[in-house]
Amino acid sequence: MQYLLHILILIGIYVILSSSLNLVAGYAGLISVAHASFFAVGAYAAALLSVHFGSPLIVNLLCAALLAALCSLLIGFPSLRIRDDYFVIATFGFQVLTFSVLNNWVKLTRGPLGIPGIPRASLFGWEVSSQFEFLVVVTVLSLATIWCCKVISESPYGRVLKAIREDEMFATAAGKNVAAFKISAFAFAGGLASIGGVLYAHYISFVDPSSFTVMESIFILSIVIIGGAGSLLGPVVGAVLLVSLPEALRLIGLQSAIAANVRQILYGGLLLAFMLWRPRGLLGRFSFEKDVH
Amino acid sequence: MAIVQILLNAVIAASLYALVGAGFALIFRTSKFFHFAHAATFTAGAYLTYTFKQIVGLSLPISVVFSLIGCGIVGLLMSRLLFLPLRRRGASSLVLLLSSLGLYVILQNSISLIYGDHIKSIRDAKVVEGIPIFGARITEIQIAAILGAAVLIFLLHTGLRYTGAGKALRAVASNPTLAKLVGVDSNLVVQLAFVAGSVLAGAAGILVALDIDMTPSMGMLMLMMGVVAVIIGGVRSLVGIAFGALLLGAAQNLGTWLVSSQWQDAIAFAILVVFLLVRPRGFVGG
Repeated sequence: MQYLLHILILIGIYVILSSSLNLVAGYAGLISVAHASFFAVGAYAAALLSVHFGSPLIVNLLCAALLAALCSLLIGFPSLRIRDDYFVIATFGFQVLTFSVLNNWVKLTRGPLGIPGIPRASLFGWEVSSQFEFLVVVTVLSLATIWCCKVISESPYGRVLKAIREDEMFATAAGKNVAAFKISAFAFAGGLASIGGVLYAHYISFVDPSSFTVMESIFILSIVIIGGAGSLLGPVVGAVLLVSLPEALRLIGLQSAIAANVRQILYGGLLLAFMLWRPRGLLGRFSFEKDVH
Repeated sequence: MAIVQILLNAVIAASLYALVGAGFALIFRTSKFFHFAHAATFTAGAYLTYTFKQIVGLSLPISVVFSLIGCGIVGLLMSRLLFLPLRRRGASSLVLLLSSLGLYVILQNSISLIYGDHIKSIRDAKVVEGIPIFGARITEIQIAAILGAAVLIFLLHTGLRYTGAGKALRAVASNPTLAKLVGVDSNLVVQLAFVAGSVLAGAAGILVALDIDMTPSMGMLMLMMGVVAVIIGGVRSLVGIAFGALLLGAAQNLGTWLVSSQWQDAIAFAILVVFLLVRPRGFVGG
């Protein structure tokens, strides 16, 4: 039972991460391998705030989201001038930078040692102590994230994002301020992703840089692509599939020492297989197949 | 003589960046996508040498030759089994990029599954003191890295300029349709570029391993540095890439001297973004 709750909590966190990435990668068509950076900002913000000040969950969430939205400018501004593959490279650089900061800014992050002993989340004086209660919090927040994404994608704002994905020139010609749309989309995506980070920090009660590598970013991106970029439920289906499928390996008795590698080989293989046979993903509306060169 | 040492360190770093970048650019020019799995080929070079030297027990030079051939085969397989089939289906460059990412994940994790995550070494146990020049120090392997990179890049430059295969490659790079019209087999050229590019990456991997050992995740950061060199120099010019690598190496080592070695990656990112914004096709590119 504990185990099942654990898997469900992880799925909830990855639903938040992948749905938020879907806003930029799926709707606006800006593929990013830097999403683990915003995950990290959320996790570290929650870790530092609650370890040093014992702040409640709401404060952690707000501070993390603001900070992540600010950091997203670093990648949002380059997205105005840099396109497609080149943009992926820029996000890749941003991801490398984040990892390097987490690892080297020892005074703030304790570097590779990480931050242990993060207290449980507290909400209006209620301490979220059991795993089941935590699952409730994760579920509420992931549903809220999906709802946010639904509102955004169905609004006129979301339609402009899709227009930018399909034809940026056209969106500009229609009088849309493409720059403002891209930057704000990144701010939304970064802010929402940080929620996943805050939950992760409170749940695991320990953060260190090794959880926020480029591999993690590729994992989140794989969830979006395999589930189906540009559809509301695609990332949800992807998260359920990619988080729970590797657990089946554990059930058939794979040692945990090699399970981590096998898990990653599995999602790398799935990403490859989808690119070969179904680039749209399971529920996708959009496949990055339009060649721009 | 701190400044001599800084320059020397910059040249050593730059020669490795240039090797990775040149291989990456070769593949990019012919197949028009960002080949992330290039990072895994780089790592594979180091681990193949480890296998031949430490496990099979061959001498270092023979291990290196076998490993380079091995990397060439890795490149050939990547192009034949994956990228050519994808391209035949009309996959876009982003689809190719994503599949290359998937391939990278598979390869890096396979390496760490086989060899474990801890550091492996192909160096001799003894620590050698560097050879003094102008008050700075350089080890033999670092000299080998500089010379090796210079020779390989010179060979690639000459090969591209004067041999039939090199001309075919440049033809496909600059105008695939026209190249096809005059009878150049572009699939063959893509495979050739993958083989040559992968050998270059493997060579860089071996040189890094000889200098500072290896871990399964060593490739990603190196690929980033190679790509930054390419972005500065432009994909079409080997001289440009070498210049880009030098600029990056110098900036990082000056940064280390003036501030701290922590910010090397931040410097690389800053240079990358500035060049992507200002000159996305590099100094030399059009």
